[in-house]
Amino acid sequence: MVVRLRSKAVHLKVAPMPVSTLPSASPGPSASASKAAAPSGAGKFDASQITRPDKSLLKYYLLAALLTGPAYPIAILPLIFKYETLKYSFDDTGISMSWGLLFRREVHLTYRRIQDIHLTRNILQRWMGLATVSVQTASGGASPEMSIEGVLEAEKLRDFLYAQMRGARDEGDAGEIDASHRPADGTQPEAGRPGATAASQEALSLLHEIRDALRELGKRK
Amino acid sequence: MKSSIDSASRWFYRGAWGVATRLFRVPDRPPTLPALGGGDPKSFQPSPKFLDYLLVQFWIGAAIIAVLIVIGLVGISAGAWQAGLALLPVAAVLFLGGVAIGYLAIHLRYDTTWYVVSDRSLRIRRGIWIIHETTITFENVQNVLVQQGPLQRFFGIANVRVETAGGGGGAAAQHGGGGNMAASAHQGLIEGVSDAERIRDLLLARLKSSRSAGLGDDLPLIARETPPSLAWSSEHLAALRAIRDEVVNLLA
Repeated sequence: MVVRLRSKAVHLKVAPMPVSTLPSASPGPSASASKAAAPSGAGKFDASQITRPDKSLLKYYLLAALLTGPAYPIAILPLIFKYETLKYSFDDTGISMSWGLLFRREVHLTYRRIQDIHLTRNILQRWMGLATVSVQTASGGASPEMSIEGVLEAEKLRDFLYAQMRGARDEGDAGEIDASHRPADGTQPEAGRPGATAASQEALSLLHEIRDALRELGKRK
Repeated sequence: MKSSIDSASRWFYRGAWGVATRLFRVPDRPPTLPALGGGDPKSFQPSPKFLDYLLVQFWIGAAIIAVLIVIGLVGISAGAWQAGLALLPVAAVLFLGGVAIGYLAIHLRYDTTWYVVSDRSLRIRRGIWIIHETTITFENVQNVLVQQGPLQRFFGIANVRVETAGGGGGAAAQHGGGGNMAASAHQGLIEGVSDAERIRDLLLARLKSSRSAGLGDDLPLIARETPPSLAWSSEHLAALRAIRDEVVNLLA
């Protein structure tokens, strides 16, 4: 993994970039994201609050690196660097993630492009209450495009991502998220708004009057 | 005699399950899917026949290993019969221990495998040491495979493999879709179900009814961002009234 990170980062030549300048779709990222999460029953879970991994991720890294045995000092350094520099940003259209000290890496993806979500917990992670949420898009390769580690509410995050995913709700449900933005082509929204019905009726009668007047004008010519 | 063995093994298995759930934090309850206005998600496990299938495979493998051990011991004994005699208890203990662990592992594997199907998505949980949970919406499914071997056909079960876009399925396909590999790639494997046709038909109906051809349509997002407001505001009406008056004046 370290090798992969380095080789890709070299090709990318990513300049060190503070995460605050990561492109974000709107200044208030929480607005729509939390609104969309609400119907999923996620309660007060707000993904936009997640910016840094939990402290227990560092402990997990320290323990996991023990598995490498004598290579521990070498294995632990990139993991510590990764923990220290790992930053997440969940806005209303997608996720951004960046890490790396010498070799920086940033991953950005949008919710609608998510193909599948994997929640993986090994025994150490279960003991520590951690999990890895792997998000895959349709690009090639079996390794996930983004592995979100160190989130304590991993199941809620997974269900939040699921709710944002393509096909998790049908297009009609988009109106349920924000009823005022529902396309008003049907009669359903008007039924809920008597004022709008009256206005459209008046508009229709006005248009009829104009049509009749123009027709009369045409006959006179 | 038989019933006492049964109850003893059940008691033992309950103990092992308790260790797995409490000490190893294996989730005790089946997974669920958040219901987003789309039907009620249904959790189910592989068919009980799948357990029989796994056990038959396991006993065949164990028998082959036992035969190999016996052949090896006979070979050693032919050279030096004392060495063969000395190795016999060691081999027996190792073999029986392996059988016990494998038998337990198969039951645990069966009990930790869960599938959740709602009418628009699918979640699969699998694993004991490493627990994988895969979530796939049917909208993202590219193709559906049903696989059945001769032994599976005998037991009346089949595997349904659901693939999403993106590469990386090769390794899992080469390994026959075995456990952990399946979770890492762009696919979900519904193993050992007796109603594979129903699941396949459900998936295919969902695939065919989808109007988009493939990747990343963001219709709902666009619809949300551009409110197509056809409601008449008071300004619209005022403008219309003004037009009407103009036209009427022209007439007069």
